This record gives sequence, C-alpha cells and structure tokens, in this order.
Amino acid sequence: MKINRWLGLDILEQQYAYGQDPERGHTSQSRIPHHWVTTTCGYCSVGCGMHIGVRDGQAVAVRGNPDHPVNRGLLCPKGLSEHHTLSAPNRAQYPLLREGTQWKRISWDEALRTMTTKFRQVQSRYGNDAVGVLSTGQLVTEEFYALGKLAQLGIGTRNYDGNTTLCMASAVSGYKRSFGSDGPPGAYEDLEIADVILLFGANLADNHPILCSHLERNFGATLIVADPRVTKTAMLADLHLPLRPRSDLALINALIHVLIARDLIDCAYIEAHTEGFEELRESVRDCTPEAMSATTGLSAELIVKTALLYGQARAPFLGWTMGVNHSTQGTETVNALNNLALITGKIGRPGAAPFSITGQCNAMGTREAGFTSSLPGYRKFESAADRAELAALLGVAEERIPQARGKAYPDIVEAALAGSIRALWVIATNPVVSFPNLAVLQQSLERLDFLVVQDGFHPTPTSELADLVLPAAIWGEKEGTYTNSERRVSKVNAAVHPPGEARSDFQIFLDLARAWGCADELFAGWRQPQDAFQEWQRVSAGRLCDYSGMSYELIEQHGGIQWPYPADSREAPRATRRLYAHGHFATPSGRAKLWPTAWQPFPEQPSTQFPFVLNTGRTVEHWHTRTKTGRVSILERMAPRAWLEMNPRDASTLGLSPHNLVDVISLRSRVERVELRVTETIAPGQVFMPFHFAEANVNRVTQSAYDPISREPNYKQCAVRVEKSPPRKAGLD
Amino acid sequence: MTNELPLLRGEASCGLLVSDDSRLECAPCEVSPARMPSRAPQAGEQYRFHFDMNRCIGCKCCVVACNEQNGNPAEINWRRVGEIEGGWYPEAWRLHLSMSCNHCLEPSCMHGCPVEAYQKDAHTGLVLHDPQICIGCQYCTWNCSYGVPQFNAERGVVGKCDMCHGRLAEGREPACVAACPEAAIQVEIVNQAQWRREFRENANAPGLPSADDSLSTTRLTLPRQMPSEMRAAHLDRLRPEAPHWPLVFMTVLTQLSVVAFALIWVAQMLRAPEPLAAAAALGLGMLALAASTAHLGRPIYAYRALKMWRRSWLSREVLLFSVFCGLAASYAMLLWTRQGVSGIAGLLTSVAGLAGILASAKIYLVPARPAWNTGMTVLDFYLSGAVLGPFLPALLGHSLAHFCLPVIAGGAVLQLMNQGAKLLRLLASKEFELQASGRMLAARFTPALAVRCLLLVAGGLLIPLLCHNRLALAAGLLLAFAGEVLGRWLFFVTVVPKNMAACFLGVEQEAA
Repeated sequence: MKINRWLGLDILEQQYAYGQDPERGHTSQSRIPHHWVTTTCGYCSVGCGMHIGVRDGQAVAVRGNPDHPVNRGLLCPKGLSEHHTLSAPNRAQYPLLREGTQWKRISWDEALRTMTTKFRQVQSRYGNDAVGVLSTGQLVTEEFYALGKLAQLGIGTRNYDGNTTLCMASAVSGYKRSFGSDGPPGAYEDLEIADVILLFGANLADNHPILCSHLERNFGATLIVADPRVTKTAMLADLHLPLRPRSDLALINALIHVLIARDLIDCAYIEAHTEGFEELRESVRDCTPEAMSATTGLSAELIVKTALLYGQARAPFLGWTMGVNHSTQGTETVNALNNLALITGKIGRPGAAPFSITGQCNAMGTREAGFTSSLPGYRKFESAADRAELAALLGVAEERIPQARGKAYPDIVEAALAGSIRALWVIATNPVVSFPNLAVLQQSLERLDFLVVQDGFHPTPTSELADLVLPAAIWGEKEGTYTNSERRVSKVNAAVHPPGEARSDFQIFLDLARAWGCADELFAGWRQPQDAFQEWQRVSAGRLCDYSGMSYELIEQHGGIQWPYPADSREAPRATRRLYAHGHFATPSGRAKLWPTAWQPFPEQPSTQFPFVLNTGRTVEHWHTRTKTGRVSILERMAPRAWLEMNPRDASTLGLSPHNLVDVISLRSRVERVELRVTETIAPGQVFMPFHFAEANVNRVTQSAYDPISREPNYKQCAVRVEKSPPRKAGLD
Repeated sequence: MTNELPLLRGEASCGLLVSDDSRLECAPCEVSPARMPSRAPQAGEQYRFHFDMNRCIGCKCCVVACNEQNGNPAEINWRRVGEIEGGWYPEAWRLHLSMSCNHCLEPSCMHGCPVEAYQKDAHTGLVLHDPQICIGCQYCTWNCSYGVPQFNAERGVVGKCDMCHGRLAEGREPACVAACPEAAIQVEIVNQAQWRREFRENANAPGLPSADDSLSTTRLTLPRQMPSEMRAAHLDRLRPEAPHWPLVFMTVLTQLSVVAFALIWVAQMLRAPEPLAAAAALGLGMLALAASTAHLGRPIYAYRALKMWRRSWLSREVLLFSVFCGLAASYAMLLWTRQGVSGIAGLLTSVAGLAGILASAKIYLVPARPAWNTGMTVLDFYLSGAVLGPFLPALLGHSLAHFCLPVIAGGAVLQLMNQGAKLLRLLASKEFELQASGRMLAARFTPALAVRCLLLVAGGLLIPLLCHNRLALAAGLLLAFAGEVLGRWLFFVTVVPKNMAACFLGVEQEAA
C-alpha cells in the first residue's frame, strides 16, 4: 500500500511493533524467535556463550548466555549482531567451476570429482607434496581433526598449514620451546584474581572487549599496558608504557635484569623447575634499564618501576597478543615473557600466568587436533614414540605419519611461486586481504594449476581467483566444538540450514574423502561431528589437551570445560584449571627451559625515502577481512572504511589535514586514497592503519619478513611514506 | 621521547598513586556499580541515565544492542557513541561518550511539538514519543541540542530512546545498560528539584552541547585529570544539512503572498482595488500551504498541527497561515466581485499574514541551531516578502507600480545588508556551530551565495529601478524569486546544528 504509506496512514506498525519475548521481555517483535539454540560465538577466541533465536528457519536474534562463565550474558558489537551474517547477500550457495571468465554452477558430485582429478594429476606429475592446503582458525575442532587426517593421511601432502600461522604461531613456538608443549597455562579467572596485569601489544578494548569485563571486576589490580599507540586499552591502564615499535623484547630483558639485580626472583622455583638460568642471567647482564631506555624510549625509572610492580606482585598476569606475535622476533619475545614468569615463579597459580590471548574462535582447536604445527594432541613430528602412538591410535602404518612438519603458510605461498606447489586448497580464509606483501601472493596464486576455495562467502577477494568454489556452512549452521584462549572447550550448534546447496565443512571433508577413496580407511562409520569428537577424545587421552572426560552433554551443561579433563578426573567439570600448577613441564626433563634472547631492530627501518613506521591492527567493529562484518550494516556504518592515523606534528610537516585522502607507499607498493586521521594517540614518526579493508588493503605495503622459528609475518612494522592522493581523474574510474 | 613520569590513568580500575619509593599504591577502589535502581521513582523523582566516561571502552555494544532491541535500521541509532580527544602523545586522551535521550527536565522536543506526540511521563519522568500521534514534521529534530529524535523516512515519523521503558516496567535494564561490558551506563533515580540546582556541574562534558538548553538529566562522570582542551573527533568534517525543499518554497511563497496582500490592501485603501493581483497572491499562498504538507512524513494528518498553538510556534504558524489563507480567499473574492469591500477584510488578512511570518520565523529561533537563532532570521523572512510581494500588484495591477518598486528596491538593499551582517556574525563568532556555518558559506557554498546575491541585485534592485515595462518586471520577479529560493536553500543547508560528539569517520567519505 504505497499510497497509504505516502499519505501517512501506514507507518509500518507491524514491522516496528514491540512484543513480549518469554526470555528477554519487552523487545522488537522482529527479534522474537520461536526457539533458542545454545552455541558459542564464531568470531574471536574469547569464546562467549550465546543463544541464537530462530523463527521460521531464520536466525532473528542473538543474546549472550547469562550462565556461560566466559561472558555471563555479555557480547561485543560483532557478537550482538552475529545473526545478520547468516543471511548476508554474499553467502556462497552452489559449487562453482571457472570456465574462462565465467562461473558455471555444477553439482557437488562433479565438484568433488573435478577436485580429486585435478589434485591427483598434480600429485602424479609433481609428487604428493605439490598439493598445498591452507586452512583456518574458524572451523570446529571435529572438522580440523577430520581435515588433518584427510590432508596428511588421505591426500598425503605435508604442505598443510592454517592462517593461524599469521596470528599466533609465535605463541605456539614460544610455549613449545619454554614449556615443552603448546597450551596457554592460565585462565580468564586470572584476570580477576591478579594484583598486577601486564599487557604487551594487546588492545583488549578493541579486540577482546568481553575480556575487559573480567578486568572490570578486578577492582584492585594495577593494569600496565605496553603499546606504542595510546590505544583504548592503554587509556584504561594505570600505567601506560609508550615504548618504541617492536622494542618489547628489550623492555622484557631489562625487566628481567632488574628483577635479578634486585633479587626479586624465586630461586627455589628456578632451582626446582627450570633449566638455563645461568645463560639467561648472562644474556641480560647488559640489559640495564639505562641501556634499554635508549632502545625502548622509556625512562629507566619507568622500567624499574614496572619491574618492581611485577616482581613485588602477589600474582601478576602477563598477557599479550599481536603486538608480540606479529614480529620476526615473536617467538623469542614469547620466550622472554615466559622467562619473566618462570624466574619469579609466577606461573601455574591463580592470577599468575604468561597468557597468549588468541585470535580466532577456534585457533586453539586447530593447534590441538589439526595436524599442522603438531601432530594431533600436541604430539611432536620429530618424536618416534609420539608417531608410533598416534599411528596405533589411528590404525595406520607408522611410516605414514610424517616425520617433520611440512611447509608453513608463507612457505607454501613461496613454494607456489617457485612452482613446487601446483594446486592449493584454501579453506575459510581470505589471504588476498590478510597475507603480507600482496603482490607476492597474487603472483603465487596466478602460478597455480588449480585453486580451490572453500568458504561460506562468495565472492571474496580470494574466491574470485579460484578455479573451483565450494560453498560451506558457517557458524550457526553446523555442530562441533571450539576451544577458546583459556583452553575451554565449548559447544557449537546449528540453528538454521545453510543457504542453497552449501554443506558443513565436516560433510565436505567426508564427501571429498569418499571421492578420493580414503573414507573407509580414515573415517569408517563417521556420520556426524560427534563421531570425530569421540575419536579425538581417544587420541587426546593422556596428552596435555586431554578431552577424554568430556562429552557434548557435559560441555553444554557446564558452559564449556577447560582441558585437561581426563576420563578419570575427580575435578568438577566447571572447576578452573591451570597448566603447570606443580611446576612439572612437558619437556623431557620436566623442567621449563629458560631461553636467552637478544633484542634486534625490526627488519625494515625508516629511511629518508620511507620515513614512517607503519603499524597495522584492528577496530572493534570488524572481524579480519570483513567477509562477515562488512555485510552487517550496523557494523559497516560504524566503521565504513579504512583510515590512517598520524601525529599532528607529522601532518603539519607534510601539509596534510584531517580527512585528506592519502596514499601510503612502501618499497613494495602503495595503498591509495586512505582517509587521514590526525591524532595525538600515535607517536610522531609512526602511522597506523587497520587491516580489515580489501578496498584499502594495507597488506599491499607490508613486508615479506617472517619469524625464523614460527614463520609468523612481521605485520606490525614496515617503512612507508605518506603522500596526499592525487585527485581522481574523471572518466578513469 | 623519554617520558620522565609514569602516565597515570585508569581511575576506572583503581585510584592509583605514585609514592616516592617507586611503588604504586592503590587507593580504595570503586566496586562494580548497580546498573538499575532497586525501586521505582517517587513523587518529584524520575529515572535518568548515568554515564561513566572512565569505564567506557568505546566498544559500541550499546549502539548495536539498542538497534536490535528496537528493530531500527542501521542508519538510525537511538544511542550513539562519540569520541573526544585531547593532550599530546603519549599523554594523549581519546575518550568516548555514549549518549541517548537525556529525558530532560525541559524537553525542547516536547515543547516544540505541534501535535503533542511527546509526553513527559508523570511516574517515571521519561520523555516518551508516540509515533501514532506524530505527523513527521521533524521540528523536534531541530529543537533537540543533542540530536536525539531521529526521523525515520521509511515510516514517516520520528523515533527516539524511551529508556526501554517497557523493559524498565518489567524490572529489566534498558538494552544499552544490559549490554555494556563495563557497566559504564546505569539507570538512576534523581530528584528533579535537586537536579535543577545541580545539573550544570554534572550534566555537561566536552563534546556535548550545554545542558542549559533543555536541562538534560543524564549524569556524567568524567576523568578527574582529563586535559583541559578536549575536542570532539568529528569537527573537521562538515556535511550540509537537508535542504527541506518543501519548506524552502513554503516559506518564500507565504512571505511573497503576505506582503502582496498587505500592498493590495494599501492599494485598496488608496481606492485602487487589484483583484487580479489578489487572486495571484492567493494562489501562491495556497500553493505554499500545499507545499508545506509535502514536508510532513504523514501529510494526511497535517491538520493535527493546529493542536498545540498554546505552546508550539509551529502550531501557531499553521494556525496563522490557515487563518490568513481563509481571510485572503474571502478578501480576494470580495475584491473580485466588488461587493461592499471594506478595508477590514484586507487589514485582517494582512495582520494574520504578517503574524504568520513572525510565527514562521520563530520556528527557526532555537538554541539547538545557533545560525538560525537570531533576529536576522525574522528580518530575512520579512525582507524576502518585501522583495517579492510587491511584484504582484506592480505586475498585475494598474496603479501601484510607482509605490511598489521602491519597496522592492528598499527590501533588496536591506536583505543584502542582512545577509552580509549574518555572514560577518558567523565568521566572527567563537562558537563552533556559528563559525562552521560561516565557513560553509564562505568556502564550500561561496558560488551559491554569490549567485544568490547577484540574483537579488538584478531582480530586486536593477530591474525595478531601471526598467518598468511588464516583461522586465516579470523577469525581475523570476530572478528575485530564484534569489530568495536559493537564499532559503542556503539557510537550510548551511546551518550547523548542535549535537553530541560523533566518531571521526563519517558514513560517507569526505571530498578532501
């Protein structure tokens, strides 16, 4: 009734009516579901419990689960609008095969047959490892476990890695080197118990807002934030350490120096539970606060003060995220943080933990079960005993278990460029936006004989380059478990059906295995994720990440269960668990290893030609490459495009004003037409840009420089210059 | 680069002190606050929001939760988060303001509303809006200094935060309060009389308009050691306001019609009745009223606007112009039929019309839109009439040209002076909104302003003074009319309303 609307007789009363939701009370009628499905948020690794409201087969609402220990009913802005991602217009719906410049819709049978044929052709000509697999942190653990078996034992390539290498590989490597195994030792509860909370390169307020609610409950704690930017989190801090970019390792070694010099270390703990202290002491001998003051830009007094605060604390929490990990010295920095906790004995106790706050909802799941950085159950590729044990559990010949890790993500990309990897399977990740130094990646993808992109969304900048697109179900459409940063395994459930012919990743893996001919051997009797979960429980039994005491029912009942939870556990499922409580570590000697480290300048220093240090990061409204949040209109309106932050002194030198469009140029390429934000929250000489935006992709200018141990890229620092964008010429767009 | 002293922030987590022995000592800390009062307001009390800027982390959960609660489209946000910045690196501050309706003691939205769509609830003190009654005139959106009421074009009515009073009645927190990870937003009960005495100290903050405009009840807790200069993050982007085309034509045409009738009455008094001019003026006046309904979200209910004439200038405008049109119609008919025309009808028509112009101008004299809030607006409206109105009797009449043309020219000179004075006032002001309006006129809209003045000079000054044939006068009317329409368009688009601080990025990219 358009005329009624125009006259004003109709004001869309139905559409804007309020109603009474039995659970939530008075609310918009449009958000009142018929039933709620309990699940876990699919964005970040905080792992918030939530309910999805379903009406007529559509997700119409979400609400935080008030009984979930992680979030107690709260959600961040992405979580609060997560149901909108399910009905996004860019959902992938049908298998698509590229024919020239066109997409041809094909059946699943044909898609999987084509993929099998192409992969087999490549393997027969160039060897098994010429097929690469790039996975993600977004799937459920059951899918990671299935994919690991399929890739390593079925397809038989070792060149399988996840985008988790772009995000927390340094934490993994650092934990393994220090403690003998991956696995963050603490719990979120520690944020509420600690008396000092020291965060390195972690902007929780933007990236893990719900963790701030745990901070909020810790009334007495002193919050210290080391970050070159005055982030939202730095502004919450009692003490902000505005250190120079990538000088964190120098700062940590200075802290260790002060703690040793002032005898604020726990000699009994060092003696009983660690090895390598003398080498560590020697390595920090020259790291005096005065010497490190020049490197970090912090006063010696401030360094000493921080050391004393940490050393005198009853139970200090040591947290970090990408400021530490996104670095060519990421692993060493994680080791230095672990050193700090170990020499003071501030680990394994309530409140005290060196804690890597992870990124994706199930990055932890792929670390545990995924067959990439470790064999499933944190078993070591290089350990014959671990290989034998796994082979026996899986019922395969021991020699089929790889003896070394295959190529890491950046090395897969480089191998494709070099021509030794010829076919690539990309699952639920978008490297064309997220991989550093985009030009290299583009060339590498162009060289492939066959690119398969399996994703919930199409087109994405990556799926546009694919030869074959496999449409996948996403969060809200499938079942399984996620593990969050504190090792809490939470249940994920399907609320609605995937669109079109999209299938769950689990189903796709089983279907591909059938087409490949390895289903009967690897997945005999598997029908649903629970079948994988049960096998994974057996495989994880006795390991650090022991799931054997869990079940789907128990997990749901308790709002997630932290591993280790062995079958014979006498602890309550809901109890908070910490690793290394008794000082026994996962190393052969049972002792934690203290690694001497030495700070080095970051690889690409600013020069006269490229005078700024470019830092990259996130904003609270968006998730990674915006395939999801870019289609949630409220989030997109709040953060509609990229911007570049620059100090007013630099802007004035360059004659730039707020909202000017600027080009950001590095040795590699340029990002064009970015809106300039002139702000004192960034230091002179530094600029910052968010990495979410394909339209202004900061990874055009970032660098191909990787941590030698973890292979994690150095996203956080590269040298750029900034120029005012030339006016766009009419007719050329 | 080396900072000598540690930066002390974080009053949110605890009151931290540095003592001489390099140890930090915590003062007794605030516990997590209650998000809701445990009782209902009593007589003389009302609900209000408390916003603690120390606690807010700028996550915007409140914004999303509000939109989900109310089923609003993304472009309408009853709760918004803005940024204010100050200080120097590394002692830089970026703080966030999360604001929705302030449920004011003197709600300017309600006082201006012509249809009584707003009520200040007797029990809760909440300012509630009823979309059933609303006619979508959007006057409240001009009256509120905080930009709280927002027009929903899809519905044709305004909407605003009602503090989730449906949830409050059930003992639940508003959606924004419930969603905040930091308990930065709370609902409190305030004694209204006491707040009238205390609001200035507690309801003002950098990045917010003065709480004096409407006696906002939102209590704000600010950091104790914030830099003295905190600036809203959005101030460098200026977007023109909506032109409101129906109102551009409605105001200019009513002004033309009223002054034309006044001169027709003068002519009649001089024994020169001008029925043709009266018919034309009547036609344009009617057209103006018809045009005004196109401005409404719900034109069919335009008549409701008469209701609140005791309180709302918009009601008074509608009332006076309706009376004017009624009288003008009878007067024109009497002139046409030449039946016992008395001076009274013309006089009453003119008085009603001139009073209508005053009411019309008074609509724009609101504190929330400083560039309008001046006597120059009243002058502007009368002078548009003076420039355009006399053309009708001069063109269509027989006897009045010699009398009308100097009126036009005089009006044009005064209008030029008025426009010049307005621009000088804006540019000389220290008030952000005035200065920004001035900058828009003096930079982005300079060509439009120049054309507007040239049209006025050509149509209102040169032609009336130099050429007296009807064709030239007709051209003069068209030019002058175009000039006044352009001037009124500038009046609407260059006003910079007061508003709460917004975020740095606007929805659309700046053309920088």
